[in-house]
Amino acid sequence: MTILNFHSLLRALGACLLGIVLATPLAQAADKVELTLYNGQHKEIGEAIAQAYEAKTGIHINVRKGSSNQLASQVMEEGDRSPADVIYTEESPPLYSLGQKGFLAKIDDTTLAMLPKEYVAKDGTWMGVTARVRVVAYNPKLIDEKDLPNDILEFAQPQWQGKIGFVPTSGAFQEQAVAIIQVHGRDVAEEWLTGLRAFGKTYSNNMVALKAVENGEIAAVLVNNYYWFALQREKGTLESRLRYAQDGDVGGLITVSSAAALKSSKHPREAQALLAYMASEEGQRVITQATAEYPLHKGMVSDRGLKPFQELRAPNVTPADIGAADEALDLERDVGLN
Amino acid sequence: MITPSVIPAVRRKRPSIWVLAPVLLLVGLSLLPLLYVGLKAWQAGLHEAIRLLWRPYVLRLLGNTLMLMAGVTAACVVIGLSLAWLLERTDLAGRRLWGVILCLPFAVPAFVSSFTWVSLSSGFEGLGGAILVMTLSKYPLVFLPVAATLRNLDTSLEESARTLGLNRTGVFFKVTLPLLWPAVLGGALLIALHMLVEFGALSILGLQTFTTAIYQQFELEFSNTNAAMLSALLLVLCLLLLWLELKVRGTARHVRTGQGAARRATPLQLGGWRIVAQLYCLLLVVIGSGVPLAMLGYWLVKGSSAAFPVAAIGEALLTSLSLALGGAALCLALALPVGLLVVRHRGRLAIWAERLPYLLHALPGLVIALTLVYFALHYVPAMYQTTGLLLLAYALLFLPLAQAPVRTALNKAAPQLEEAARTLGATPFSAFCRVTLPIIFPAMAAAFALVFLDGMKELTATLVLAPTGMTTLATEVWSHTSNMEFAAAAPYAALLILISGVPVYLLTTRMYLNQTR
Repeated sequence: MTILNFHSLLRALGACLLGIVLATPLAQAADKVELTLYNGQHKEIGEAIAQAYEAKTGIHINVRKGSSNQLASQVMEEGDRSPADVIYTEESPPLYSLGQKGFLAKIDDTTLAMLPKEYVAKDGTWMGVTARVRVVAYNPKLIDEKDLPNDILEFAQPQWQGKIGFVPTSGAFQEQAVAIIQVHGRDVAEEWLTGLRAFGKTYSNNMVALKAVENGEIAAVLVNNYYWFALQREKGTLESRLRYAQDGDVGGLITVSSAAALKSSKHPREAQALLAYMASEEGQRVITQATAEYPLHKGMVSDRGLKPFQELRAPNVTPADIGAADEALDLERDVGLN
Repeated sequence: MITPSVIPAVRRKRPSIWVLAPVLLLVGLSLLPLLYVGLKAWQAGLHEAIRLLWRPYVLRLLGNTLMLMAGVTAACVVIGLSLAWLLERTDLAGRRLWGVILCLPFAVPAFVSSFTWVSLSSGFEGLGGAILVMTLSKYPLVFLPVAATLRNLDTSLEESARTLGLNRTGVFFKVTLPLLWPAVLGGALLIALHMLVEFGALSILGLQTFTTAIYQQFELEFSNTNAAMLSALLLVLCLLLLWLELKVRGTARHVRTGQGAARRATPLQLGGWRIVAQLYCLLLVVIGSGVPLAMLGYWLVKGSSAAFPVAAIGEALLTSLSLALGGAALCLALALPVGLLVVRHRGRLAIWAERLPYLLHALPGLVIALTLVYFALHYVPAMYQTTGLLLLAYALLFLPLAQAPVRTALNKAAPQLEEAARTLGATPFSAFCRVTLPIIFPAMAAAFALVFLDGMKELTATLVLAPTGMTTLATEVWSHTSNMEFAAAAPYAALLILISGVPVYLLTTRMYLNQTR
């Protein structure tokens, strides 16, 4: 190889490296207003919203996917430097914590007026977007519906050894634990978690847990209702069934996916506009096509064949009551779940 | 500027700033994880730090991690040793072919083979499954070096032992095995280290070890004290292994055999054991590469009947390629000064620079990533969530790969040549570029290829550090697998094997197979 060739190769290599390093920030700087969405909700839901919103307004949304808890903690660590404009989580507690610590901007009243007030933060810093209900998914081949307990606390008993699955890292499970603390007290909740840890099987996420029931690997799991509908859409008919709680048992807790605008956002107006879109009938239609959750927009009804929202017998614990889930996380740590 | 005429007389003792700056940068960066862990512990307070470390959960993690490490390492040693002996010292038919096929696991990233096993049955989740799957993907790390050592072993030692009255078994245990020990230990320690830092595969296999727990903490609370404390324990384990490895390397020298008349040892007649040996090799090939590749093929066929997202796959492929290219370039740009310092400027800093790749090698990718996130966010916000930061992580992770070839090549490029160029009027930079660089170019290219190919399948650091919205082949495999969407993960996994796995396999096996005398 001649020296000349060699030099040009080196130069090309250097230029290549420099190009890669510089490409990302430059590409972003050149454009007009773009929003960054920290998406703790399921990937396809965040992408559906981002695409529909860009098609409607021309504003591009960069979506950063992570777990809800992780992204909320990330915002706290980032502080004023956070690149995020809007944060969208699978559950309300992470946003409750962010609101308490002053990281969230107040959401426009016109946006909040579109939603029932029990699913909106009392101080207006976050809003519920869609609702879902905690259920027991079970496999009728492995267990009769009549053998399932009415009281979710019973799953922590020894006779459920190897038959009950749960997802301790899921935000909705932690909310359920908080609800048990609020309804029955901390000691009962600790006993429940200890029993589940001893007799139950843990799964890394809700879909994996549900598929384990579907494949007959475990009799029953504690999950959210919409995973079953997502799997049904993929497979057609399912082996597994859902059991909804009766008489306001904590097993039928209603939780909400939530969204909020960050105080540190450089585009507060656009961030509020995105939230308004997510609360609007149009936005909620986009979301509930991507996931079988209940729309929270006043008067709207899901067309995914869900058990009607009014027929749910949920406990008297609202997302606003639940607040933060730190206590559940601490309790999980104390009993050795993580 | 020194005039050219004085150069031959006064050998430059001080390394130039172009050598010093990158080395100091690297030394600094490699110490950051320790600083991160210390800082977090200090912020939380000693009491809290001890409370987080001293609980049953951590003990369980430690148990899982150590059992996995011991199980996989022991199984790999048994398989690697027996295979090497069968292929080098017996009359097994098709030895060469077996040697090539048995190394196929190199072509399949561990997190890909894990997903194929888990998609076959959830029964492979947990400790037992993890030991099985990880053993099948790592045993070549013992087999290859041991086979190479056996091939190059001076057989006269063994023959002397036989003439002195030892039987074959006695010779194997008293003479051959001690000679193989350094190769076995080296491979075993490498595997043990891999088990400590492995994240993707173990997460898919559902085994809770330190790395998966650290990632779980990251998902629960981003960069928190708990993650840092678990990282501290993991670092201690890794550094312990590193220390062991350095000790083994140190003692490896005195058992080197002389270069006497080379003769291949008389192959042992297997006789009736022939069939058993063939079946053994066949079994390893079937479960080691057959099952993963067949399952992958199954999901590919099954998935292509559904939607085949060409645009998304193309984007992930392009991102993977450019990240690996950039990472390899940056890695070489840093490896060169380290090599120069070690080879040309012996001294205190050079000793540190020489140890640097070993230290980096022992740092888990996940801990490096968490460290970089933390320091970028708090001290270099301009780098936070940029491709640059990710490339830096790649460079740190893969420097150990690039270091050996670059150093070997630099040893061959005599500094006198460069000095001659300088007496003829060349500036130091131009002398280096026109004399030394062309000599070391082939080695640099090889190192570049190695880093590039390995970078393609990087998962852990990419998950934590990738800029908003960036996906690679590896992260797509991972995110689909974590939702059990195996058919959707298959095309990404197949591309990974084709583009990075197969070339890595060819490079690695050739490196060893060419070591014959």
